[in-house]
Amino acid sequence: MVKHQKLGLFLFCFIFIFLVLFKCTVFAEDTVSHEEDYLDEETMVTVADPLEPWNRLVFQFNDRLYFWLIKPVAKGYSMVVPEDFRHAISNFFHNITVPVRVVNCLLQGKIKSAGVEAVSFVLNTTGGVFGLYDFAGKDLKLRVMDDEDLGQTIGSYGIGNGIYVVWPVLGPSTLRDTLGILGDAFLDPVNYLELDSTIMVRSIEFTNKTSLHLGEYEDMKASALDPYIAIQDAYIQYRNKKIRK
Amino acid sequence: MKKGFIIFTVLFFLFLIPVRSYSSEPMKQLRVTVDKVLEILKRPDLKSPDKEELKRKLLREVISERFDFQEMAKRALARHWRKRTTQEKKEFVELFRTLLERTYLRRIEQYSDERIIYKDERIEPPYALVKTVVVTGQSVEIPIDYRLIQRSNDWKVYDVIIEGVSLVNNYRKQFVQIIRSSSYESLVERLRKKIK
Repeated sequence: MVKHQKLGLFLFCFIFIFLVLFKCTVFAEDTVSHEEDYLDEETMVTVADPLEPWNRLVFQFNDRLYFWLIKPVAKGYSMVVPEDFRHAISNFFHNITVPVRVVNCLLQGKIKSAGVEAVSFVLNTTGGVFGLYDFAGKDLKLRVMDDEDLGQTIGSYGIGNGIYVVWPVLGPSTLRDTLGILGDAFLDPVNYLELDSTIMVRSIEFTNKTSLHLGEYEDMKASALDPYIAIQDAYIQYRNKKIRK
Repeated sequence: MKKGFIIFTVLFFLFLIPVRSYSSEPMKQLRVTVDKVLEILKRPDLKSPDKEELKRKLLREVISERFDFQEMAKRALARHWRKRTTQEKKEFVELFRTLLERTYLRRIEQYSDERIIYKDERIEPPYALVKTVVVTGQSVEIPIDYRLIQRSNDWKVYDVIIEGVSLVNNYRKQFVQIIRSSSYESLVERLRKKIK
C-alpha cells in the first residue's frame, strides 16, 4: 500500500465511525422529500451547514481559482485538443473506474447494472480501443444511466448527508459523500501509481473534464441570487435523486 | 317517492360520465410548446445576430403561453407569498419572470440539434408530471421533468426539474435564506440589481 493510501484509509475509518455514531442524533434532520412532493408546497430538501462561514470562504476561493487558473488553462487546452479527442480521454477515465461502479452496484444489490458495467468495460476496452470510444454505450445502447458511487451506497443504507462541506478545488460535498470519495479511491487504478504520477494524471483528467463543461458554472452563477446556496441546494437535490434511484 | 327515484337515477348516470377525459393532455400540450420553441430555434431566417431581438420576442411569447410565472413565484416564496400585498405580488412575479427569461433564454438558444424523448406522464388533478429526456449530439442524456398545473383547459408549467434539481425549490432555498437573514425588501432589491 502506498503512503498516501494509508492516510486515505485512516480518514475513511475516522469519518465512517463518526457518521455511524452520530447518525441518529445530530444528523436526523436530513429530510429527503416525499415521492409526491410536487403536491406539497412546503417540502424542502435541506442539509445541516454548521460550517457555513468557513464553507463560504472556500467557495470564494474556488470561485477565484476557477476564473484565474482553472478556466484559462482549460480554455487553452480546449483550443489545442479537439473536442472529439477530449471526449475520448473522458471515456478512457470513465472506463478505468469501472471497479468503483461494479462494486457499488453490487453493494446496492443492483446485479443487472453490475453486469452491464462489467460487460461494457470488456467491450469498450477491446472494441472501443482501451476505452477511448464508448462502443457499448453508443453503438449497442448498453449503458447504466446512473454512475454508482460509495456515497450513494452509504446513502441507500439510510445514512444521511451529515454536514455540508465545500472542499478546496473539489467543490461541494457532504461528510457522507467525502467518505464515499475516500472509499472509492481504493478502487481507482490511478491511485495505485506513484504519488507524483497520480497528481499528474489527475491534473490531466481534471483539466479535460473542465474543458468539456466550460460555461456551466458561469450560467449557474448568472441565474442565482446567492450562488453559494444555489449550488448547495442543487448538489443536495442531485445526490438525493441519485440515491433514490 | 317518484321524485327521489329520478334524482337517484340522474345522480347514478352522472357518476358514469368518465372524469378522466383530460388524460394525456399535459404531455400533448407541453409537446406543442416545445416543438414551437425548437422550430423558432431552427428557423434559418432568425440565425443572424441582428434578428436576435425578434427571436427572443417570439420565444418569450411561446413560453409565456405554457408557463405560469405567478405559480412559480408563489411557490418560490412559499409562506412569504401570503404576507405580500397584491401590488407586491405583481411586482415580484414580474421581477422573477424577467430573471428567468434573462438567464434561461440564453441557455435555450444554445440548444439546437438535441433530440427530446417524452418518457412518462403522471396525472393527479390538478397536477401533472411529464418526464422527458434531452439527448445531446454526444449522446449524453439529460433528464428534464416538467410539473404542470391545470388552469381550466390549459396545463401550465410551474416547475422544471433538470437532473433531479427542481428550479423552484432551488430558488425557494435562496429566497427564504435571503429573507431570513435580512428582509423581503432586500430580496427584491437583489432581484432588481441582478436583472439590471
